[in-house]
Amino acid sequence: MTSGDSEVQRDETPAAPGGDSGGDSKVEAEETPAAPGGDSKVQADETPAAPSGNGVAQHPGVPPASRGADAGAAVLRAGRRLITFSETWTLVALIILIVYFSFRAPGKFDSLNDFSLMGSANAWYLVMVVGETFVILTAGIDLAVGAVLVMAGVVADLYCLHHGGASASWAVIGVGSVLGLATGAGCGAVQGLGVTKLKVPPLIVTLGGFIAFTGAAYLITGGSDFRNAPNRLVNTIGLGNVPGTPLPWLIAISFAAVIVFGLILAFTRFGRYTYAIGSNPEAARRAGIAVDRHLIKVYALSGLMAGLAGILSLANFGTTTLAGHSFDNLTVITGVVLGGASLFGGRGTMLGSVIGLAIPAVLLTGLTIIGLNTYWQDVAIGAVLVAAVSLDQFRHRLRERA
Amino acid sequence: MTDPMPTTVPVLEARGVIKHYGHVLALDEADFSANPGEVVALIGDNGAGKSTLVKSLVGAIRPDGGLILVDGKPVSLTSPLDARRHGIEAVYQDLALAPDLDPASNLYLGREITLIPFIRILNRRAMRERAMTAFAELGINLPNIGAAVGTLSGGQRQSVAVARAVAFASRIIFMDEPTAALGVIQRGRVLDVIRRVRDRGVSVVLVSHNMPEVLAVADRVEVLRLGRRVASFTASQTSVEELVGAMTGALEIANGSGGPR
Amino acid sequence: MHSRLRTMVAGMAVVGLGVAIAGCGSSSGGSSQKTMELIVGTKSDDFYVTMECGAEQEAKKLGVKLTVTGPATFSVPEQKPLIDTVAVTKPDALIVAPTDSAALDPDLERVQKAGTKVIFVDTSASDPSLGLSRISSDNAAGGKLAADTLGNLIGGTGTVAVISVAKGVSTTDARVAGFEQEMASKFPGVKLLAEQNDDADSVTTAEQFIEGDITANPGLSGAFAANVITAQGAAAGIAQAHKTGTVKLATFDADPTQMSMMSSGTIQLAIAQEPALEGADGVEQALNAIDGKAVTKNIATPLIAITPSNENQASVKSYIYESNCAG
Repeated sequence: MTSGDSEVQRDETPAAPGGDSGGDSKVEAEETPAAPGGDSKVQADETPAAPSGNGVAQHPGVPPASRGADAGAAVLRAGRRLITFSETWTLVALIILIVYFSFRAPGKFDSLNDFSLMGSANAWYLVMVVGETFVILTAGIDLAVGAVLVMAGVVADLYCLHHGGASASWAVIGVGSVLGLATGAGCGAVQGLGVTKLKVPPLIVTLGGFIAFTGAAYLITGGSDFRNAPNRLVNTIGLGNVPGTPLPWLIAISFAAVIVFGLILAFTRFGRYTYAIGSNPEAARRAGIAVDRHLIKVYALSGLMAGLAGILSLANFGTTTLAGHSFDNLTVITGVVLGGASLFGGRGTMLGSVIGLAIPAVLLTGLTIIGLNTYWQDVAIGAVLVAAVSLDQFRHRLRERA
Repeated sequence: MTDPMPTTVPVLEARGVIKHYGHVLALDEADFSANPGEVVALIGDNGAGKSTLVKSLVGAIRPDGGLILVDGKPVSLTSPLDARRHGIEAVYQDLALAPDLDPASNLYLGREITLIPFIRILNRRAMRERAMTAFAELGINLPNIGAAVGTLSGGQRQSVAVARAVAFASRIIFMDEPTAALGVIQRGRVLDVIRRVRDRGVSVVLVSHNMPEVLAVADRVEVLRLGRRVASFTASQTSVEELVGAMTGALEIANGSGGPR
Repeated sequence: MHSRLRTMVAGMAVVGLGVAIAGCGSSSGGSSQKTMELIVGTKSDDFYVTMECGAEQEAKKLGVKLTVTGPATFSVPEQKPLIDTVAVTKPDALIVAPTDSAALDPDLERVQKAGTKVIFVDTSASDPSLGLSRISSDNAAGGKLAADTLGNLIGGTGTVAVISVAKGVSTTDARVAGFEQEMASKFPGVKLLAEQNDDADSVTTAEQFIEGDITANPGLSGAFAANVITAQGAAAGIAQAHKTGTVKLATFDADPTQMSMMSSGTIQLAIAQEPALEGADGVEQALNAIDGKAVTKNIATPLIAITPSNENQASVKSYIYESNCAG
């Protein structure tokens, strides 16, 4: 039998301890998980508040660890959140490659100029990897990224062509870019609808998207590239640096995208829902997460990133490069998988994907510089990819058995 | 064999609930009641309607007729989230945990503590601290609080799922075969947890096929057969034979009646 | 019962009539107009569009029925089903630009065995038993022409990169071979970098190739890009390295894209083929084969070197490819 005390508590603490309303950064003792009987306050004082650094749960009554160990433990935990075991491996592999090529081609490979060229040439890949990471984390896949890139570039350039062409103003470029981004997000959202409402597997939906968006781009352009991208776009964003720095705009924009969305993935509820849905969509649904709506957002995000990639590509090449992005999807997906993400969803990080993209990029440029046939790159990437996926499968099977 | 005279308002009650699935009548004016601070077992043979009744009471399905009352007041449970708002939680047989997330993340799944509206930055420290509190209160000892739930043993995963329900349930928790996949020691631990939950004032509905276990932990046992309640026993005053008899209908035939309503 | 029997007989008569009509239509030997199908390498590539235009013009002139198809990308898996369909539809002739010199042999053999005359345009299968005629630019001569022109442009010395597409395509392989041979023999002072193959036809890969080449060879004088995609990639890479105009970029084909790149100064040389003539010759030789007349086994259509100095001349303008057949 419960007292009137807990009756009041029930009305005040509906389901969610801590609540979700704005400004709930204050952690109050009254808001501990609802425990009718009114002894939650007392219990909160008794159990230790500080989680232990090495992960061992402490029995109630043991005094909390010292401040220094707490700080060290917090750093260790934050570190562990940013990088897991599989990323460490890929990071080591990347470092080994960089060291090797720097040794083989000193002053050439390991020059600011070379890194700058590598960064800009991979800018649109990097941006697409950001979106693809979210998608793969939900146990989905987006094969249409290269086609959406082209579509977005076509729409943006089409707008600019009708409003000044090569001499289009920044305002026109801005509007064209927004249209391109919107096109990308729209294509992505349509795919998201296909996955959630039509219940077609992502592989099929995005394969269809790849074909359809490619076709649409060819229809709009009549089969031939638009050739007069705005000069301002090409000379500033495509070829220029951030004023006062040696940092190319292409690198600045792509890295900004990685950082912003990497933080969102790691530290926000949107990111956690992405992991949860990939890990167990039914559990997410039962927990009250709007799974379908979230998935549509994730695919729209992938489309948005492909749209941004389209603008960057347009700025770099000066044309819509209709036929030159057919297999970008493989490059991007390889990057995400090499980076440790599981195709079954639920595992992976943004940092891992970045490293996973960097490895083939470094291999390609490094091998080119030292004059080795780039088929070695294909062999190397193929082998590492199979190894990475096997490890993923093995881990997955282990977990299923547990 | 008779209902204890109700001296308290049941925390959750079903009266005359009806549910059709096509031509099949799954619930035929089924009754159920759980009193505050008790463990009541819901038993019945396969096809008796246990799962349908439970789903109605946790808001997963909407009945075609009858009443559901919370603290004596009729309610309409439109969804599991709606039921949660009434303080009703459930632990399903599949646990509904995300194997790649850690225990604290699973505990707060769907109910994350966040900062800044719209951006919703996760307040991981608050969730971790409170999760540890919640586990400790139930005597759950997890070796690595940061480990992915998928790496934990079956019993530990069960504990996480139970702790989640307990952490948020203010009235009642439904548990569907909580010990089915567990070893002996782990089973004992889960039953301990159930008792602790009850002692904190949250009722527990235990759906189980394990009769000895039912008698070990439940205060009362309600028997469902062919979509209606056919018996209600005080656990200490009944036996496995009697329960099985009620489930299969042998008891009714022996008594020549349909059982108490 | 009577009415049921009558209905059945009427039904069978209708079905029989339908079969007869259908049968009449499908027998290719029976109809008077000759049918040809042209399968190009990539449907919307300007080179092949120009070929299509030339073929259609010739087909109209000769009074044959021509259908044109092609894969969306230059790839074997996309072109294979189109060729396999021809083995079923059995037109009088197939004019085709195979996307690989060997991988499509079995499919082409099936088409040939079914009685369709096979003519190769642009690319070809290396198996001599396939195809009655091979019509293309003398790609080796084109590569040679490129080497001659580029070698002169860079003054006979320096380092030159060669960026091509996947190996196994008869045309590009011949171009590269012609280019490398001529460069080695006529301009021994020029150092040729090993051929780099952009297998996935990716603009980004071509860009990374040339950027790596420039980083390794800061004095790079020139580059040869085998098609429009590699040309776009190489031009962007040269621009990123701030070497536009310093690294003389030569390419094959005179797409509107490449011509506009020449106008803006990112390409210094384009070797133009005459795809319209290839298409027309293809139709003409196909008709010869159908009519049992003599077929010319090999036709080499002419090429010219377009540079900024001659690109606006009238004679040169006719070599520039079209994106659609106007008129």
